[in-house]
Amino acid sequence: MTSTQLPKPRFSWDRVVQWSMVVLTITLVVFPAWPIVYQSFLAKPLYDKERNFTFSNYAKMLGNDKFWHILGYTAAFAIAATALALFIGILLAVLINRTNLPMRRLYSNFVTIPYYVSPLVLAFAWMEMYGPQGFGTILVRTLKLPTWQLYSFWGIVIVAAMYYVPNTFLYATSSLALADPQLESAARIGGATPFKTILNVTVPLLRPAILYSALLTLVSALELLSIPLVLGNGVGIDTLSTYIYVLGVVGVSKDYGAIAVVAIFVVLLVTVLVYLQGKLTALERRFVTVGGKATRPKLLDLGKLKYVVSAIIGLYILLGVILPLACIVLESFVPFLSPFANPFKMLTLENYQGIFSSPAYRQSVTNSIYISIFAAGIGILFMALASLTAYRSFFKGRNVVKYMALYPRAFPGIIVGIGFLWAFLLVPGIGSLRNTLIAMSIAFIMRYLPLGFSAVSPAVMQVSDELDRAARVGGATWLGTVRHILLPILRPALLSGYIILAISFLKEYAVALFLFSEGSRVIGTTMIELWKQGGAEPVAALSTIQMFITAFLIFGSTKLLGVKLHE
Amino acid sequence: MNNDLIIEGLTKKFASANSVAISNINLTVKEGSLVTLLGPSGCGKSTTLNCVAGLEEPTEGKIRVGDFVMSDISKGLLLPPEQRQLGMVFQSYALWPHMKVFDNVAFSLKLQKVKGDELRQRVMDSLDLVGLADLSNRYPFQLSGGQQQRVALARAVVTRPRLLLLDEPLSNLDAKIREQARVWVRELQQRVGITTIYVTHDQSEAFAMSDMIAVINKGILLQFAPPEELYSHPATQFVAEFIGATSFLKGVVAAMDGRKITVRVANGDILKLTDYSGKSWSVNQNVVVAIRSERVEMAGSKAEGNILNAGVKNSTYLGSKWQHVVDTGSGTLKVETTDTVTSDRMSLYLPPDSILLFPEEK
Repeated sequence: MTSTQLPKPRFSWDRVVQWSMVVLTITLVVFPAWPIVYQSFLAKPLYDKERNFTFSNYAKMLGNDKFWHILGYTAAFAIAATALALFIGILLAVLINRTNLPMRRLYSNFVTIPYYVSPLVLAFAWMEMYGPQGFGTILVRTLKLPTWQLYSFWGIVIVAAMYYVPNTFLYATSSLALADPQLESAARIGGATPFKTILNVTVPLLRPAILYSALLTLVSALELLSIPLVLGNGVGIDTLSTYIYVLGVVGVSKDYGAIAVVAIFVVLLVTVLVYLQGKLTALERRFVTVGGKATRPKLLDLGKLKYVVSAIIGLYILLGVILPLACIVLESFVPFLSPFANPFKMLTLENYQGIFSSPAYRQSVTNSIYISIFAAGIGILFMALASLTAYRSFFKGRNVVKYMALYPRAFPGIIVGIGFLWAFLLVPGIGSLRNTLIAMSIAFIMRYLPLGFSAVSPAVMQVSDELDRAARVGGATWLGTVRHILLPILRPALLSGYIILAISFLKEYAVALFLFSEGSRVIGTTMIELWKQGGAEPVAALSTIQMFITAFLIFGSTKLLGVKLHE
Repeated sequence: MNNDLIIEGLTKKFASANSVAISNINLTVKEGSLVTLLGPSGCGKSTTLNCVAGLEEPTEGKIRVGDFVMSDISKGLLLPPEQRQLGMVFQSYALWPHMKVFDNVAFSLKLQKVKGDELRQRVMDSLDLVGLADLSNRYPFQLSGGQQQRVALARAVVTRPRLLLLDEPLSNLDAKIREQARVWVRELQQRVGITTIYVTHDQSEAFAMSDMIAVINKGILLQFAPPEELYSHPATQFVAEFIGATSFLKGVVAAMDGRKITVRVANGDILKLTDYSGKSWSVNQNVVVAIRSERVEMAGSKAEGNILNAGVKNSTYLGSKWQHVVDTGSGTLKVETTDTVTSDRMSLYLPPDSILLFPEEK
């Protein structure tokens, strides 16, 4: 051998980007998490000069009967809401996808509406329609029929279930679509009636989807703030989330130590569930029976029953989704809504003028729009790079990115908000960012990192890795491959990820509740402010604005850009 | 300057359970020649290719072209793929779906800052080479499988790379097109004169195209030889089995006279053969004789020499010939012949040079 050319070690942008993905994903979790842990061991609020280490916060909380009562109540609420949402969602999925129900196509669109509506808006909508002073309640009462109490355990469970039905429905539907129709055909050939086939083959095949969406819903219900807050606050019902909210925002003397302990407790609880869910996903792969490109099996003929079933589903959608939402939209255009006064004779834009003439309220709308447009854009790019580092690089730290990007799922929105607020208070030099949209955007991105990451990752994994190998051998660096090959190919997935993120940012309120201040209001925080002041009509106007922007985003992206928001 | 590709001591271990993907592979690919890595799937041939490409990290070993060292693990040197100046064609062709044919081919040149007329000229020259210049404005999905494969080849050679790496490039083509593609890939390689490594599990492809064939199994290089030598003198029983329809009978060395060896197979039949392998044998050694199906003849009027009487188990008509599976009493033998059988017994003649001898593997 004559001369060995050892190339000089080169500075590589590939490494810079990959390392920053590791650092960023870790930071996004650690940054809001450590002040909470720190505070939980402090006797005084963490901004206090005096910092005494103590276990008394834990002792106080764990010895507090109220805490255990709330924990039990929260668990009961979450389990009941999950069970109800699963039952309705799966029943609807099977009926709509596997039987010859009239109007099934239409129903499958309407069932998913709550998916795009903030749970806060849904809670207000149900309150306006079925609350003690609700339009529907009063109407029924005047007809001398028995009424109901929405502000109760079962009231909250039903509204929460309404909110989660789209999740369980969509999981079951996509699982039905994946199931190999030959499995059903085989049962039919073997002598099973269509009904028996559904019962013994179709539904059991859904088991992984059922388990998976059950845990997903359970996690989400445990941390749900809006529905228990709006419907339970007045009658003294508390869940863990509303308890934190009350301790931190409403309470006269804010007990920071107590908030921290409850927050840590919730995070640990959710971590366990998220971990279980991860295990189940791994199991689920063994179950999945992909291969269903063949013709769909014949739909089950319900006979005359199909009209009855169709009417029941129609009634469910009408009463559960359409009427409450219509009610809140209508309310936003009248001075007051009552069955005793024809609303169409007093249509007005006053509520909207009220919102837009107040700089603070107007700003909350523009802030929400800014965050939806810009933070979601930056967010999806970051999530795509994280996903590409995790799944498309030889980088040693890629597994760290994979896990850290999903971990924020264990952090309820309200706790993310607290964590960021405290972190900005605690870290010297960045306090001035606290009240800005930048802080808000970072917190939103952290909260939705798992959502965006798991929206982009399947698409990343679907692109044949020979495409990037070809680019690498052809002379492109990793970053060059990402820029010229992967990102362009992933454009449709990035676009739909962007829209999903933008809608989520628009709907988000829990993260902002602690973090917002003068100048960084968003629609959700203003709705809660207005609701506390008793302004039902302005709340209705804001809800309508939020739904309008969401609808605009959905129609714009699906109809004009051909984006697919879910399978 | 000699620009042979030299692979020395290439080893790749997987992290899990210390399993070895490839073990101590040594190969020299002469400049301008085409070498095929041949073996069953999972044998390590693609791992070897990917180590050369820089797409996988070897655990040990050195890879260089002339004195351009691409990886030398003992010195901690490992060039990323983009710095190795290679061309590669993948099984799926890996044409970038969002780029037109022209842009696919131009990609690497643009990275090398080739611009304007020169860029255009070189891309079109390369497309001319594969006869697709008039399709430069199409998108990959508008092309047939065969056309896509040719674009992939044009893209791989456009930068005049040090090496051309072909990873089962024909396996996705229809049987008929595959045979045509074989011929013109070989022609193109010879015209461009580019040093090429070709990976396949198809032995007929390997024989049709290669200057040299490296047979790999379970991560070990079993034999590296020109096609004719591989066929006539396979180094191991596995090689003999893999490169052609071969049957094996167990036996014992009964007598030896230089290269002439007499083997007694299980039922006592005697086979005489001439051994060219250069291995040393001893009387009473347990051996395996390999018999190529297409070399077996009907004994007809012959009564002397390597005659085996066998019962016919089944016969399959393959179109141009018959395949008879027969029981010799010492084991099962496959026979390929144009003759049909009329009875359930047949008498077979094995020419002495049609029989290969291997030591019995434990």
